[in-house]
Amino acid sequence: MPNKNGTVYGLTILSPIIDDEQATPSHDLQIRKYLATLPTGEQSPFALAPGTHLARLVVMDDVIYVGMPACEEHLKSKYLVFESNCDGELDNYLAGLAASVPEHLDAIWSHCVGYPGAANQQAFIDYMKACQLETTFYFAAVNDKSVPETLRALQTQHAVADFIADHQGMEPARLQTEFARFVAELKSAPVPRPGSMGQPRSIKTGGRNE
Amino acid sequence: MSKLNETDIQGFVLRGYNLPVARYFFLHFEDAARARMLIGRLLHHVTTGQLWDGGKPESTVNIAFTQQGLAALELPDATLLSFPVEFQQGMKKRAGILGDTGLNSPERWDELWRDDRVHAWLGINAQSPAALDHRCAAMVELLEETGGAVALAAQEAAAVVIDGKPTTREHFGFTDGFGNPDYLGVGRSSQPGQGKLLPNGSWAPLATGELLLGYADEAGELPVAPMPHILASNGTFMVYRKLHQNLATFRAYLDEHAALYGGGKEKLAAKFIGRWRDGTPLELSPDNPDSSIAQDPNRSTNFTYGADPEGMRCPIGAHVRRVHPRDAFGFNGKLIDRRRITRRGLPYGPFAAEGEPASDTEERGVIFMALNASISRQFEFVQQQWIEYGNDPHLGNDKDMLMGNHGGRGKFVVQGDASAANPPFICSKLPNFVELRGGDYFFLPSITALGMLAMGLVDPR
Repeated sequence: MPNKNGTVYGLTILSPIIDDEQATPSHDLQIRKYLATLPTGEQSPFALAPGTHLARLVVMDDVIYVGMPACEEHLKSKYLVFESNCDGELDNYLAGLAASVPEHLDAIWSHCVGYPGAANQQAFIDYMKACQLETTFYFAAVNDKSVPETLRALQTQHAVADFIADHQGMEPARLQTEFARFVAELKSAPVPRPGSMGQPRSIKTGGRNE
Repeated sequence: MSKLNETDIQGFVLRGYNLPVARYFFLHFEDAARARMLIGRLLHHVTTGQLWDGGKPESTVNIAFTQQGLAALELPDATLLSFPVEFQQGMKKRAGILGDTGLNSPERWDELWRDDRVHAWLGINAQSPAALDHRCAAMVELLEETGGAVALAAQEAAAVVIDGKPTTREHFGFTDGFGNPDYLGVGRSSQPGQGKLLPNGSWAPLATGELLLGYADEAGELPVAPMPHILASNGTFMVYRKLHQNLATFRAYLDEHAALYGGGKEKLAAKFIGRWRDGTPLELSPDNPDSSIAQDPNRSTNFTYGADPEGMRCPIGAHVRRVHPRDAFGFNGKLIDRRRITRRGLPYGPFAAEGEPASDTEERGVIFMALNASISRQFEFVQQQWIEYGNDPHLGNDKDMLMGNHGGRGKFVVQGDASAANPPFICSKLPNFVELRGGDYFFLPSITALGMLAMGLVDPR
């Protein structure tokens, strides 16, 4: 099953962008402008809606043939590319997006041909599936675990590392008491919100250096 | 690959001189014509890569230039703008990319590096302090005679002397200087473990273009190089970093944590680095140092991490494993072949043996010089991804234990097993053991290119 790798679903959607010479600015530019201001971290639409490990939105203007012999060819349309590594069944995931962040979806996809809006959930799901391509490559860093499981595991890893660092060498009976209390606290702690686990990184990345 | 033209390549590029004392002058050019005259006169002094048939010379001379230096020599703009972006920017402007922030940020650097006055590095290495003084006096005389440059500063560096003998120890007490890569065509007795790993487990030299401009690199491409080709060919780029060592902090941290660690102080120190203090690789001898391994060139760098994926012998975050991961990322080590650097350099400042008092404020550290064909692809990648970030070794945000810019918040995990002598352990609240005090990016030209600079014959067309 090419769109699934273990429990992780690989979603690839290409939506044709409306080609309207009357539109100013053009629809692809309007999408780019909106995407450029989309929040990241906890306020990202993909953190607000359930089930996304990693998502990427790209405006694809054209593709250039690279190879020999040279050949000139073009796409028939500009496309919005949406890639997501997500949990579970596709219908549920898309329904979750439509229910949680309809205003973002409409602001982006209303520039695409034939987009029905997120308000009609079934029409939205049908539209997205009509634009779907098969996924064969996945984001390598997603383990075969759901988003909540991954967040829970990260939370546990951080907490255990901190616990060990603070308690190394402690006398065994006291250590056991402290550990029992630690485990109880950790068990009752809520699962961290998506997008909340990354530490702010002072380092600049991107461009030539990645 | 035929043999390289060693008469055209600065000797500093092709070999570590292994000379015990050095002085690095930092020059400022005030007049292009006089500076060119100086370079012309220096040409006869510059040590090339030719083999030393008559034994080691008493002293050596090498020279390299910053972008500002090349501009001060009045190279054509079309040439200056053809240098790689990171070289044009210089190291200070790359601080954000390198993680040179906080305690390592440029505003905390030595005054010499806070403005853009350094135009050239003039490196003198010598057999003895007397030979060093003698050669340096000749250099200063040349500067004065030609009026070609003023020496803004001179950095002393010297091998740490123990029991009257120069050693390869650094100030934290570890033996340093193992394992520079081998390159095709560089005539050097090669050592297993120093080139690239082949699928059959043997080692082969890296492509020449990983070190020198004008040759194919590991991807079969010519490295990005300035125009004209003849200016770049047989030259390379040098990263100069003055790395201050907080010796008192290091010793206190090690003592404090060794008291809690079941494997003992020396083993914990070895887990930090991945080598025991005498240089024995943990991967080959996890329980105790073994000088027969450390001193055997066929064994001291001849190891891989494939059989130790969990870091039971050498921790996954140990310094040597992070900065030279060998096969640790799988694919027979293929992923690291374009991220290798050649290291030169010496300690500076007074050595304080274990047990002698030491402070953080004393001027003491390592002059780190790295040579590579592409600063952004090689040095900057290692610095950014392997020292200041932990994603590749699956260590999250953990930075390199030794070199990381931790700011008191760092963490380092010693993986262990169920035995009492090798327990798992976590080091937290890591301070900065090492702080950056300045430096820059330099172009280290060939002898031909030095001649072109001297004669004002650089023509990009």
